[in-house]
Amino acid sequence: MSNAAAEHAPNPASADGIAARARGLTKAYGSGETTVLALDSVDVDIARGRFTAVMGPSGSGKSTLMHCLAGLDNVSAGQVWLGDTEITGLRERELTRLRRDRIGFMFQSFNLIPTLNAAENITLPMDIAGKKPDEKWLDQVIDTLGLRDRLKHRPSQLSGGQQQRVACARALASRPELIFADEPTGNLDSRAGLEVLGFLREAVDQLGQTVVMVTHDPGAAAHSDLVLFLGDGRIVDEMERPTAEAVLERMRLFAGGDPQTPGFDVVRGRSDGSGPPPGAIPTTGNPSPEEP
Amino acid sequence: MLKATLRSFLAHKGRLLLSALAVILSVAFVAGSLIFSDTVSRTFDRLFASTAADVTVTPRETLDETVPSGQTLTLPASLADRLSQVQGVAAARAEVDVEGLTVADENRESVGPTTGAPTIGTAWNPTERSPVELTSGHAPQGDGQALIDADTADSKDVRVGDRLTVIGQEGSFPVEVVGIVTFTTTNPGAALVFFDTATAQTKLLGDPRGATGISVDAAEGVSDAELKRRVADALGSDAGSYELRTADEQAKSDVEQLGGFLDIIKYVMLGFAGVAVLVGVFLIVNTFSMLIAQRTRELGLLRALGADRRQVRRSVLTEALLLGLVGSTLGLAAGIGLAVGLIELMGLMGMNIRANEMVVGWVTPFTAYVVGLGVTFVAAYLPARRAAGVSPMAALADAEIAEIGRPLRLRAVAGSVVGAAGAAALVGCAVSSKTSSAASLLGLGVLLTLVATVIAGPLLVRPVIRVLGGAFPALFGSVGRMSQRNALRNPRRTGATAAALMVGLALVGGMSVASASMTKSFDEQIDKTLGADFVVQNSNFVPFPKEVTERIEGTEGVGLVVRSQFVTIAVRMPDGDRVKTTAAGYEPELDEVAHITYAQGDTAAALAAGNLAMDKDFAEDHGVRVGDTLPVEFQGDRRAELRVGALTDQESAEGFGAQGGIYFGLSTLEKYAPGGQDAAVYVNAASGTGDDDLRAGLEKTLDPYPQVQVRDIADYKDLVHDQIAVLLYLVYALLGLAIIIAVLGVVNTLALSVVERTREIGLLRAIGLARRQLRRMIRLESVVIAVFGAVLGLALGLVWGVCTQQVLALQGMTALAIPWGTMIAVVIGSAVVGVVAALLPALRASRMNVLAAIAHE
Repeated sequence: MSNAAAEHAPNPASADGIAARARGLTKAYGSGETTVLALDSVDVDIARGRFTAVMGPSGSGKSTLMHCLAGLDNVSAGQVWLGDTEITGLRERELTRLRRDRIGFMFQSFNLIPTLNAAENITLPMDIAGKKPDEKWLDQVIDTLGLRDRLKHRPSQLSGGQQQRVACARALASRPELIFADEPTGNLDSRAGLEVLGFLREAVDQLGQTVVMVTHDPGAAAHSDLVLFLGDGRIVDEMERPTAEAVLERMRLFAGGDPQTPGFDVVRGRSDGSGPPPGAIPTTGNPSPEEP
Repeated sequence: MLKATLRSFLAHKGRLLLSALAVILSVAFVAGSLIFSDTVSRTFDRLFASTAADVTVTPRETLDETVPSGQTLTLPASLADRLSQVQGVAAARAEVDVEGLTVADENRESVGPTTGAPTIGTAWNPTERSPVELTSGHAPQGDGQALIDADTADSKDVRVGDRLTVIGQEGSFPVEVVGIVTFTTTNPGAALVFFDTATAQTKLLGDPRGATGISVDAAEGVSDAELKRRVADALGSDAGSYELRTADEQAKSDVEQLGGFLDIIKYVMLGFAGVAVLVGVFLIVNTFSMLIAQRTRELGLLRALGADRRQVRRSVLTEALLLGLVGSTLGLAAGIGLAVGLIELMGLMGMNIRANEMVVGWVTPFTAYVVGLGVTFVAAYLPARRAAGVSPMAALADAEIAEIGRPLRLRAVAGSVVGAAGAAALVGCAVSSKTSSAASLLGLGVLLTLVATVIAGPLLVRPVIRVLGGAFPALFGSVGRMSQRNALRNPRRTGATAAALMVGLALVGGMSVASASMTKSFDEQIDKTLGADFVVQNSNFVPFPKEVTERIEGTEGVGLVVRSQFVTIAVRMPDGDRVKTTAAGYEPELDEVAHITYAQGDTAAALAAGNLAMDKDFAEDHGVRVGDTLPVEFQGDRRAELRVGALTDQESAEGFGAQGGIYFGLSTLEKYAPGGQDAAVYVNAASGTGDDDLRAGLEKTLDPYPQVQVRDIADYKDLVHDQIAVLLYLVYALLGLAIIIAVLGVVNTLALSVVERTREIGLLRAIGLARRQLRRMIRLESVVIAVFGAVLGLALGLVWGVCTQQVLALQGMTALAIPWGTMIAVVIGSAVVGVVAALLPALRASRMNVLAAIAHE
């Protein structure tokens, strides 16, 4: 993987359109001969105000990437910034506060605290912080997600789709800099899944949020602005304005062949390495190789 | 299946640890008390069997004394000569053996045991059966020489050559310690002083020809029973006034006399064991319920793979039995340790039993395993049935604990039925006018209401915790809200966890109400009835020699002195009952020092020669009226006909082994029971003498008598308070044990809940809950559970206490006092208990790996 971006790593503080950034991010499990590299010197920039999907087969390190970017897991090497805050090297307490105040989360399942009702779940991060939620924004989020008449319900009284909508509302409620969604549609039927993806899309387009979604579903990835493909702990490719078919096609290639084969490049239509390196965020105006 | 069970047992051994601890504690107390009492009784059996003469002849005691009168029964020492002529008798010796002495050192401090064990004065007649041997100095010869046992000498720093004062019933006399004797057997804890026979006779018995018993040794080839028969024949017509015992019978009777004390220790220990078992059951039930709830999927899988219900149930029960087996074995070992500890403790109190002679009878391990296995089996039975009810579908369903939803209807019904029965019993006890039936109704009511509360506990969780934790959201925000809701989450679990604490605190609540009421009642009675400026009395109601009274009378500033004595009597009532009781004799000026309310008659009629007085209710029960003449039997077969001169209407006529509140003039008592000693002397100041001056004067003149105390009304109250406090300390010790186990229960529940809520905790941590906040959440949950248990327990205890007071009121303790301070302290204490119990689970939860918790399977 090219290190072009890392070589002239810009001052993160000045990188305005960047919500999160990783340089040389490495995560190893075990030691000695049994060392497994979950992430192998990954460089990535998450553009602000966009919907980024992270795809890859099982064990490709996509969840680990999310965990490291979100400050849930510590890294073996490299640096991670959230906005202009370097989070690698932060202490546990600061990381907790950072997650609470600046990041929103959606998980595949078990997203909600069963003892709290929908409204209490939505405001939980702010309650934990002892902050007053912005009522106007909260109302907007609740109405956008259509949760108005479900606020007093406990999670057990909600359908899976409704639960994910509540989780989505919670992620949005504190207007975080970045929302991480880990397989948010994994446990839903396709209709409910589409609904949740639609809301995430809306959150980006209408509410101006930044969303990073980990998924293995090409259909889900197609709702994003940009898909990052992970394989063996590296970002092996990316795709702007993806379609489900294109993503599926690429995944198939990915599964069939050597991840380092030029097959990806063929699809990307670029093999000289002169363009933006894989893993780097395509700058605006950079023509997408595949128009829908 | 067995393999799967074993695997599961080993896999959950950490979670079973606390349950095992409960089993260990229960079994340890059971085993410890059995080993201890076996060891002690074996030791004393051996001691008494080895020291008893082949046949012992003592004066017949026609009435067992419950309160010492100070009389010592004697027989003529010449009987020994007569018996030594009997065929088959090798030797016969006159023995002098007097209990209840006080021996003071040069600082006028008692050298006797501080444990309440007696100081015994004995004539020095060493034989191979003596429990002691002379290890330094020489045998006592003549007046003024004595031996003392080495244990007493060591603990009170007495040496050969020291001068002591012996205060016996005939008066006090000085002695010089001329030798030290050492126990060759176990020292039962008493202090021993030896004199030569003549001194013992004249100074201790006041009768140079008297003895307290004759020891008869058999000639070769004559059995003890045969010897006893021959001695009885030789005594002929006199045999009826003597008690003859073979060595075995004597040993048995000695052990029985000591038995009361040992029984108390045994029952206290078994009480601890009972509390441990009771509370332990809750802990084990809870643990197994939770483990099964957590393993619903696994059990469902077993069922899906073809295990039938019986196999699943058996698997869980096998796991329980394994736990019981391990717990019982460790508990047995701990019990041995406990017994060693108790024996050491006895040693500190002066009773030297050798721990290496410990007796572990087969009953002990048998009982230990029956208790340990029984408790776990019973406790695991319901959870096991529930496990067997897990459907194969559970393997596929999401595991979020199906049992939460199970309705509590059955509990509601059973709880209210048992509760109603218990309430009825308590109401019955409150309105009952008979002490015996009221007490049994109280016992029944206590048991039933306890069972009802345990059954209905989970139903009370929601309403009570809503109130208790009501302020949490406001005080602690979302952390408080979550902890309150977590406590409400599984009412069954919260209920069972709190129940363990509830049981102990209900006991405490009840006992503290009862004891506060007793204290208040006694205070009121003392205020009402005691009119004397001072009461001079020994501790433990042991009487004192005449010279004490003489000294009191000779003290400057003393106005009026009223003596009183106790005597054991048996009265033949008109309804045919023979009532054996302790009666009191007073001097005629009783009205000056006490306020007695009479239903009929007055003090003059009560104390007149040949008259007696008794309690009105007692008289009614037995059909006695004023003017009736009753046959009264005194010690030594002395009989009298006494006329009922007055009936009293006192609130408290009973207690301390006395029944019927019978009393008469001191002259009447002395006529039929001569030789008694004053048990209490009431003193009023002469006019012009202040109380403080009189007290100082009395204390000065009584200084040589360390066993005698001068008390005014306030001191007297303190004495009563102290005696009640002893009862309370026992209860608090019980409480301590109950709380320890209850804390284990709370720790257990929280720890397992934390494991169960791993994903939830991970989620909370992911979205920004700080470790500190997480710990606080668990702590608050723990506190609310503990306080719930305390509130429930105290409420129950309050009801019990009030009912107990109703029963006590029949005995004259009419005042009701509720110690609110104690109650509030208990609630606060339970909150602290909650905080402590949460320490480990909270730490564990906060250390939990966020990623492991949220990662999907």
